Amino acid sequence: MTVVVFAQAAIPRDIGLFEFLFGAEYWTGAGGILTSLWDTVVLCAAVVVVATVVAVPLATALAHHGRGELSVTWIVTLSRAIPTFAVAGLLVPISLRRGLGFEPWPIFIALLLLALPPIYLNTYTAVKDVDRGVVDAARAMGFSERHVLFRVEMALGTAVILAGVRVAAVQVVATEPIRAFLGGDGLGRYVRDGLGQNNDNLLLGGAILVAALAALTGVMFGLAQRLALPAGVRRLARPRTR
Amino acid sequence: MSTVTSLTLHPGLEELKGIAEVAIRLDEVTKRFDGTDSDAVSALSLEIPRGSIVTLIGPSGCGKTTTLRMINRLIEPTSGRVEINGLDAIDQPVTALRRSIGYVIQQVGLFPHRTVSQNIATVPRTLGWDKQRTAGRVAELAELVGLEPSMLDRFPDELSGGQQQRVGVARALAADPPVLLMDEPFGAVDPIVRTRLQDELLALQEQVDKTIVFVTHDIDEALKLADRIALLNVGGILEQYSTPDDLLRAPANEFVEQFIGEDRGMKRLTLKTVADLPFEQGPVVDIGASPIEAVAVADAEGGDWVGLVREGSFAGWARSEDLRQGAAVADVPRSQPAAQVTPESTLRTAMELIMTSHTSVAVIDDGGRFGGVVTLDTIRASLVAEVDR
Amino acid sequence: MSVVAQAANPIIRWEWIVDEWDQIQEALIQHLELTILSVSLGALVAALLSAVALRFRPMATPITGFTGFLYTIPSVALFGLLVPYFGLTRTTAVLPLAAYTLLILVTNTLAGFDAVPASVRDAADGMGLTPTQRVIKVELPLALPYIIAGLRIAVVSTVGLVTVASIIGQGGLGRLILDGLRRTFWTPMTIGATLSIVLALVLDGVIYLIGRAATPWAQRARTT
Repeated sequence: MTVVVFAQAAIPRDIGLFEFLFGAEYWTGAGGILTSLWDTVVLCAAVVVVATVVAVPLATALAHHGRGELSVTWIVTLSRAIPTFAVAGLLVPISLRRGLGFEPWPIFIALLLLALPPIYLNTYTAVKDVDRGVVDAARAMGFSERHVLFRVEMALGTAVILAGVRVAAVQVVATEPIRAFLGGDGLGRYVRDGLGQNNDNLLLGGAILVAALAALTGVMFGLAQRLALPAGVRRLARPRTR
Repeated sequence: MSTVTSLTLHPGLEELKGIAEVAIRLDEVTKRFDGTDSDAVSALSLEIPRGSIVTLIGPSGCGKTTTLRMINRLIEPTSGRVEINGLDAIDQPVTALRRSIGYVIQQVGLFPHRTVSQNIATVPRTLGWDKQRTAGRVAELAELVGLEPSMLDRFPDELSGGQQQRVGVARALAADPPVLLMDEPFGAVDPIVRTRLQDELLALQEQVDKTIVFVTHDIDEALKLADRIALLNVGGILEQYSTPDDLLRAPANEFVEQFIGEDRGMKRLTLKTVADLPFEQGPVVDIGASPIEAVAVADAEGGDWVGLVREGSFAGWARSEDLRQGAAVADVPRSQPAAQVTPESTLRTAMELIMTSHTSVAVIDDGGRFGGVVTLDTIRASLVAEVDR
Repeated sequence: MSVVAQAANPIIRWEWIVDEWDQIQEALIQHLELTILSVSLGALVAALLSAVALRFRPMATPITGFTGFLYTIPSVALFGLLVPYFGLTRTTAVLPLAAYTLLILVTNTLAGFDAVPASVRDAADGMGLTPTQRVIKVELPLALPYIIAGLRIAVVSTVGLVTVASIIGQGGLGRLILDGLRRTFWTPMTIGATLSIVLALVLDGVIYLIGRAATPWAQRARTT
């Protein structure tokens, strides 16, 4: 047991799939599943938080003042065209030359670029789409501009914004494993190691872990969406069908 | 591939077309939609004469559109027979049937990805006409419905609502079908354009003589266009099927009366023209007559004005007062008529003009010649006379 | 790093580009091949799935759900899952890449057909077009803008995912990136990354232009 705390047992080449997934010794320790999981979660959470903190106020401000229509189309085009792996790869040499090492900046920035568009776009759309009549009515009742902005638009738009955050989170978690191939660790390491060692079960196990985490993220955010909004607002925020 | 039965509806076989007097016969046609517990159309029987315009009209839910769509089998009847040119519609292959029936709908449904001429050419191309024949036909139809040749290469999106509907009509007539189905075709355009399209449809019918079944919810449109009106009640119950004038003069029951509205007398006035009235000279005298003759006419008719006619044309109204002064009739100051109609004007227009000007007579201008006068009394008399019949 | 070492290892060493031009070209071509193969396969399957969903309306939701499910599987995981069965071959790369395009292609195709106005379909039926004629001559052209938009997204995201496929040796330009990483030699990384971004943008533009050419009616503005 003491050995396991400080250094994870090397994963044998002939390990069985379930042995790996459910064996306690592979979960604990510096190279263990839990540590890798933690690495991944910390990075992804940081990315999502920063993306939200940057995108939401920016998009809200622009949308409320009716500016930035062009920015929306640009962001859509660019975000689709930029392969995250390429961006991260591009940033590694730069990071290294500045003495910042392989991690975390290249992958962090690359994932941030991935997370920003869905949150920005959804926030922008949400704020724009809020029923004009509601806003006008509130204005007519004498609220100040800022009051209108915060109370009415944020409440109704929250559902849509949350949906954007969810998309961003799932995408980030699903893409994060490439980090293991760019000099980092995280859950993707098992796929990397499995490929490197020709260890099929390790490979499969790693793949399953990665997939499971992505699915879990989606489910968790789905729950958060349900819990965050009262039924009435949720009904209002449901996208209108044609 | 066409069987004999579809061939008889295939345009081009002139000899078979002229057979039946009744173009479309609906025989106890019923439609009940799945999941509903009442008939949309209930045992409707109707005969539509060849070459006539028959309007189906009624309140929401009366099944007029359903009935129309059962003729070209866009909806299949639950029971009953639809006969077209003597043949049961069920027996035809459905696409062949539809290609021999023109179909015009309110939203037009032009293909956005095809030009105007390509749209019009749709059925001919489907029937396999060659390019030359098709192009000729498209040009012919464009002229017929009043489309500029420059519009032929445009896309529907570039046209106005009225122009689009003209294309829709042209498209429906492309393969020269004997029957035309129209479902509220003019409902989506503004009133001015609508009136123009209605007039053009009537003019068109003069030339092409189709059997037209026309669905509308606008009683005035029906009265204007139809040779016969079929008034349906909710559930497809036929309440009355008669000419517009008969419908107004003798409504079959309270439902009909209420549907037409309280002003059916007034509506009847739109069905008649000034030409239908007996000639009335009115207080009119030749401009060359002597002042005494003029005054005599003024006294006889008892009005404040006397009309002056010069060589068969109306020259203006002169005040009776002025005529009594004794000056030559030709020198008396004249005013132009405040109310003037032509023989083609409806009695409704005549009445409107008379009521809104400060005269009590309208002058009839028959191509520049004086055609008599119209008074409110004459108009009233013409209405009343028929009621007693 | 010493100054000398840094000078020997710049972000881009231009001589390398000249020397290894063949390698770069090969990587680019492989990247392009993989993209085209995957999107073509995806388009084929998407067409079939869309046809089924359109013909049998109840199937639309399960089909969309299935393609959506495939999309949520992380690329690293999906590549990893297939390696034990297909090895480090092109198939292992193409299958997941094609699978990822399904969601957007099916969703956009269905949306495109959905956008055809009911009156246009009604008019087509009323004029005696057979259902097949109506779908092919009327509905499909009108759905084209949506389908093309979907293709653009599919192509662009596939270009990005092909770089990830380099982890199983099938990455085209991604190989340059990994190669450079392994050798701690930056030029191939920079080139690989830049070229994949450029390729994505170029392909996006090409499909956009093709789309414009195929839909002349959508370009004309309303005159009234």
